[in-house]
Amino acid sequence: MPEGQFCNKTPITTDEQLKATLNDKGGKQYYEEMNHLDVDSEKLWGAIQKTMKSRIKTWLEICAHCGLCAESCFLYQVNGRVPEQVPSYKIQATLGQIVKKKGKVDNEFMQMCMETAWSKCTCCNRCGMYCPHGIDMGIMFGYLRGLLYSQGFVPWELKIGSGMHRVYRAQMDVTMEDWVETCEWMAEETEEEWPGLEIPVDKVGADIMYTCNAREPKHYPEDIAEAAILFHVAGENWTVPSEGWEQTSLSMFAGDWECCKDNVQNVYDAIERLKPKRATGTECGHAHRATVIEGPYWTGRPDGQPPVPFLHYVEWLAEALRTGKLKIDPSKRIKEPVTLQDSCNYVRNQGLKDITREIISYIVEPGYFVEMAPTKEHNYCCGGGGGFNGIGKYREQRNMALRKKMDQILDTGCKLVIAPCHNCWDAIRDLEEEYEIGIRWSFLKPLVIKMLDVPEHLLPKDE
Amino acid sequence: MFKKILLATSGAPSTFGAARVAFDMAKRYGAEVLVFNVMGVPTKAFSQEVNDVRTGEKIEIDDEYQSWVEEELKSTFEKQIESVEFSKIITTTGVPHREILRAARAEDVDLIVMGASSGDSSAYRKGYPGSTLQKVAKAARCPVMTVHRETASYWGGFSNIVFATDFSKQAENAFKFALASAKELNADLTVLHALDISGKLLDQNAIEDKLIETRSRIRSSYDFGDFKNYDVEVWEGVPYVEIVKMARERSADLIVMAHHSHELDPEKARIGSTMEQVILRAGCPVVSVSKPDKV
Ligand code: SF4
Ligand code: SF4
Ligand code: SF4
Repeated sequence: MPEGQFCNKTPITTDEQLKATLNDKGGKQYYEEMNHLDVDSEKLWGAIQKTMKSRIKTWLEICAHCGLCAESCFLYQVNGRVPEQVPSYKIQATLGQIVKKKGKVDNEFMQMCMETAWSKCTCCNRCGMYCPHGIDMGIMFGYLRGLLYSQGFVPWELKIGSGMHRVYRAQMDVTMEDWVETCEWMAEETEEEWPGLEIPVDKVGADIMYTCNAREPKHYPEDIAEAAILFHVAGENWTVPSEGWEQTSLSMFAGDWECCKDNVQNVYDAIERLKPKRATGTECGHAHRATVIEGPYWTGRPDGQPPVPFLHYVEWLAEALRTGKLKIDPSKRIKEPVTLQDSCNYVRNQGLKDITREIISYIVEPGYFVEMAPTKEHNYCCGGGGGFNGIGKYREQRNMALRKKMDQILDTGCKLVIAPCHNCWDAIRDLEEEYEIGIRWSFLKPLVIKMLDVPEHLLPKDE
Repeated sequence: MFKKILLATSGAPSTFGAARVAFDMAKRYGAEVLVFNVMGVPTKAFSQEVNDVRTGEKIEIDDEYQSWVEEELKSTFEKQIESVEFSKIITTTGVPHREILRAARAEDVDLIVMGASSGDSSAYRKGYPGSTLQKVAKAARCPVMTVHRETASYWGGFSNIVFATDFSKQAENAFKFALASAKELNADLTVLHALDISGKLLDQNAIEDKLIETRSRIRSSYDFGDFKNYDVEVWEGVPYVEIVKMARERSADLIVMAHHSHELDPEKARIGSTMEQVILRAGCPVVSVSKPDKV
């Protein structure tokens, strides 16, 4: 059987396909079908010849097999330091072999590649910092994932994830109506405590446009309300687009390149339409990577930049605190040992390490902030990056991966972890659920709201 | 005044008390009942895996599971469903308080009825503090009734309502609801203010003065219209204790209170909450009113 009903080389593009694939519990039929999926070697080799850029080619060739990257990979560390977890080994044994064999590989090999690409690398890009040649497995695995996706060898959840983006232009089934309705709802729910609060949709020419992660309207709309509160208190002239509001890109994790481009174009179109002066998104690392760091290249923007300056939320927040748009009541600062999860996606990939610490300096009483070790751009992945968190098939491996973060957190002695990235937040929540080490975790928004020094005129009048 | 009641239930016995009250009210007052269930709290980002609200186990939701849950609910409440103008069963996944609020809004219900512990996921709560009840009571546009146990004094229908006021703006909404309920249900209404003297040193004369003053404040603040069966009481003490004592003395079958949404920190609101203490201790259903929309 060359192609299955669910497991095949065609992306999900309709709601019916999406629902049907979702209803295949745990991807049982999907993975069964995968066992019979043919590899189209010609197409695979054709794709490699067309898409493999000189950088990756060179990397594959110049790797000295020195193994200096081994210790840099947290998955190597937590998995008993077996050779199969050495970054260079992982990529040479997969992508390296496909290239060497000019695409003539079989089903079993492709399944091994899939397992390696999605359960032995979170695309955290840490190894690239330690390789003397700057060889970055995160990038190479991103590329390999694309090849695997085009051949149908992709974990069930990620096939669904990118299908969601294709059908709903969001990582979950949130329609434009759902989104706008959620904004109205949250404004209504919040306006009493914050008189005058609005969530303006499609306002043209605002100072800042805000985008988010579809999980917020779907399950955690408080997050939107919290963003609104902070913009409101900061006196920001802001807006959200009715379309192009979803900033995440599971398609990036899935290796669905075509869809990646479409996602980010959708956000850029909103920017072109609403002409804000700047844009910012929610506390999410990979959404930022997709929209701001990689997106300009996917969409072929000549300057390698989004249409307007696009800040990560931590940049907006630091600016608001620095300029006094938001004021912290010093008596309400955090007075317990607290640590910070540096998200690979905007710290290692965009260097936003000091800005988060600037925020810490406003919201934590001096002496209470404890760095993880290692930290900043040397920090390890939360354990659930690159789609790892969501893949049921690799849950055990993911749980193992969480151990590095667990040890790092335990070493700080902190019970509170600030995690300004949705996915890190999830991983840390799962970490507590799995290992019960007695920690709490939080985004920045709710913490800051609690300690705001709110100007008199913004408070409710009665009582 | 109750046309549509949303019963939030996990289907577990701990919510039967709430179900009994919801269905009974619906039968008496000709309301529709919407049986609402949150099957699980999503755990894994975009996957279909959830923590089952009842068992805490990890399950994967699909159409089959969903219809199984619906069948379960239908058979659990079979007799009761037959006795009322039933509207439908809704099952969903998500964070319980959020989904209850979402459904209440979408279906434009007049009352939410829930057990005092309708599905708190402990793992989830750590990230987003505050109980389901607290959050629903705070944000709902309609009154929220909580039934903590198989309520001893509730035998169907309401004949003695205690309304506890703290003179807040929300209490005005709660008063409207209490008065309208008393009129419509032909019940006696006791308006109580518990003078909070905990931690204060007042001499007896000062207390007496305060009591008199507060009594007249109630009379001037609240307009009873042509309604006659009411009493005004002011008791000193710790508010929740006094409210529960009053409910016992009057054999109240319903307590009405305001929910304060002004404490922005849910953890603090939770600990200091008179309402939650009353719910835990009272032997009858407790209605909390926050917003004016549905009263
Ligand atoms: S450190 Fe660089 S050169 Fe050395 S094995 Fe790793 S990838 Fe190859
Ligand atoms: S990118 Fe991260 S997870 Fe992947 S091999 Fe390198 S260090 Fe390991
Ligand atoms: S989830 Fe956070 S820590 Fe993990 S890979 Fe992504 S950005 Fe890095």
